[in-house]
Amino acid sequence: MAVKTFKGGAHPPERKERSSGLAILRLREVKLVVVPVNQHFGAPLQPLVKVGDNVKRGQKIADAEGRMTVPVHAPIAGVVKKIEPRTQSNNSEGPCIVIEALPPPAEGQPALAPEELVDFMPPLDPFACSKEEALARVRAAGIVGMGGAGFPAHVKLAPSKPIAVVIANGAECEPFLTIDERSLIERADDVVEGVAITMKIVNAPEGVIAVEENKVHAVPLLEKAIAASPRTRAGMKIRVQLLKTKYPQGGEKMLITAITGKEVPSGGLPMDVGCVVQNIGTLLAMVDAFKEGKPLIERGLTISGGACTKPANVVAPIGTPVADIIAAGLAQVDEEKLGMVIYGGPMMGVAVPNYQIPVQKNTSGVLLLDTVEAKHYDEETCIRCGRCMRACSCRLSPALLAVAVEAGDYKEAEKIGLLDCIECGTCSFVCPSHRHLVQRFRVGKQILRALKQKEAQNAR
Amino acid sequence: MPAKGMLLSSSPHSFTPVSTPRIMLSVLIALVPASAYGVYLYGFSALALILVTMASAAAAEFVFRKLIKASTTVSDFSALVTGLLLALTLPPSTPLWMGALGAVFAIVVAKEFFGGLGANPFNPALIGRAFLLMSFPAAMTTWTLPQGLIVGPDAISSLSLAQGAVDTVTAVTPLGLVKSGKTLADVGTYLGTHSDGELLKQLFLGYHSGSLGESSILLITLGGLFLLGIGVIQWIIPVAVLASTFLFSWVLGMNPVFSLFTGGIAFGAFFMATDYATRPLTPKGQILFGIGIGLITAVIRKFGGFPEGVTYAILIMNIATPFLNKMRVKKYGFVPPVKPAKPSKEAAR
Repeated sequence: MAVKTFKGGAHPPERKERSSGLAILRLREVKLVVVPVNQHFGAPLQPLVKVGDNVKRGQKIADAEGRMTVPVHAPIAGVVKKIEPRTQSNNSEGPCIVIEALPPPAEGQPALAPEELVDFMPPLDPFACSKEEALARVRAAGIVGMGGAGFPAHVKLAPSKPIAVVIANGAECEPFLTIDERSLIERADDVVEGVAITMKIVNAPEGVIAVEENKVHAVPLLEKAIAASPRTRAGMKIRVQLLKTKYPQGGEKMLITAITGKEVPSGGLPMDVGCVVQNIGTLLAMVDAFKEGKPLIERGLTISGGACTKPANVVAPIGTPVADIIAAGLAQVDEEKLGMVIYGGPMMGVAVPNYQIPVQKNTSGVLLLDTVEAKHYDEETCIRCGRCMRACSCRLSPALLAVAVEAGDYKEAEKIGLLDCIECGTCSFVCPSHRHLVQRFRVGKQILRALKQKEAQNAR
Repeated sequence: MPAKGMLLSSSPHSFTPVSTPRIMLSVLIALVPASAYGVYLYGFSALALILVTMASAAAAEFVFRKLIKASTTVSDFSALVTGLLLALTLPPSTPLWMGALGAVFAIVVAKEFFGGLGANPFNPALIGRAFLLMSFPAAMTTWTLPQGLIVGPDAISSLSLAQGAVDTVTAVTPLGLVKSGKTLADVGTYLGTHSDGELLKQLFLGYHSGSLGESSILLITLGGLFLLGIGVIQWIIPVAVLASTFLFSWVLGMNPVFSLFTGGIAFGAFFMATDYATRPLTPKGQILFGIGIGLITAVIRKFGGFPEGVTYAILIMNIATPFLNKMRVKKYGFVPPVKPAKPSKEAAR
């Protein structure tokens, strides 16, 4: 198989060997969950429950009107204890619904019947129902892009342009993370089914499961699953594509370019080049939503890092404080060595003050870095070596862009392509002077957007 | 829960092991073969010149930054690189104090006055060399014969070189001979070779008079390939400089191979034109930058007052760098801006 890729990028140390061989563990006993109300990219939600309410597992607990909204469900059966602002995985406070699990029935009391504990939707056959029904199910199940951005899946799956190819993003280019790799291996059939469901909804003639070369061992399993799938037997075209192991291969734009050779136009969306890209976790959530009627109330994640003495790939209810996963013995941490906690991968993840913060719909991993890995460098002067220029997968000339942003020349910055930055952080990674390049671009983008908004208002 | 404070910072949280000192150190390593050959050709005085120039550069940076109360940057090795680069472009007989003066000028005036590493518009080593060339034209154009290379009186008389200007100690460079109207065959006679092929081979290996470290094309190329191999420099600029020198020398009626094998063009292509701070960052800019250097070098060699022009060619193109940086590659997903439709004549009326 020809190995495809994009131009630019970098090779941060992979560190996946620590957890790639570990089967996914399931967290069974959860005493308490802290469920952020807003876990999607879009308009904020309203809680539908009050403190003291009993909730069933899978019951909708927050929702709102509007296209860019995705409901949130109770991950466990229990009692709503609090609704208050708590620190979320993006290290900012937001409203959270705290649910305490029901205590086990007292001696002599009969256990509660399953229908009193669980509130799932009826199964739905995505290949028999209408597109509208399918999209309604995806939204009702609370599904968002689980790779990080949390974009509403029902919006992504209703493109206004014809789709030629559905890409399953199994690149998993962030170091340390192995949850997608394990899912590809352990749930290959469901990954194929998820691709088929997506193809059906967006009416795409082709599906591609894209994996980086470091996961080449998953390819035979996926090909077997494709061959055995009733969907491919019925004529659907799905194949596996190997990609070069390179960061940010799993970036949506880079993935599309590697596979189709096309570039997503500036300011445009994947659908503009006939693509829909789905995260592996999202595909599995969709399969569960149709097959079992189960909303997105749990997800897989990798717990790893140098201070993590026992790394793990786990499936845990949304809202589980990561500390509880560790307390349950699924993973272990050396407190003495712990220097940094990251929700997400080391390239794009968010550093947080502790691991009490709950698992969210977009938490693909939690890294417990040791004091050696938790590096901080002082910013030195730019030596104009040009490494960032060659590494930028969006060809944005970061060295020149940084000069424009620092000078406050947002007109020039926009011309160079500030708004096209995908914030992958490759520029900052390769910089021998440890310049805060992507960090400047993140702030710069917000300032530029605000300036443009102001300009638009003045023009009116 | 962790009792101590966790490090909070904005992503990425992973960093390349490549650092500025490591880059500078690799440049120093790449220059070892050419430097060692210079010491082999010209003996202990050459080694002394190299060491004094490097030490002066480092000392100048240290003292100047202390004086202006700026952070000490000597440990990034960039001053040592400037010092070594300067030494290798000087005639081997340059007095030590002159090398030191050039290094101080290069570091203080050409580098630190502009803000130090990365902020200088002109290549500091070449500014140092240009400064010495203007201040001490005689010393800077006095060449020494390499040890063991004997130019017989017969060769001198048959080439009718001016008595006194050239003897068995003081020498002329191949480019100098050509500038004074001699042919390639004359250069061969001077160096004691018997055919054009033999002459070019000797030039390639570097067994002739010239600046301390720029005569051996072989060893310079080896150093350049090392830097290319480890990714410290990229191929665009050296290839553009060499190809353009070849082309424009040929267009101007000079032997193009001879042009590449003599003077400082190879050294300039690999070590001077690739200087991070003073070369353009964009690929398109780098191509034009290289072409410009080749063109100006050929023009100076053909029409200029000096036999060699690489120093000025690179310095002149340094001026163009900010402009050439505007020639960016098209960003990912570039969409050409839609031009506002021209108002039709009907509407204009």
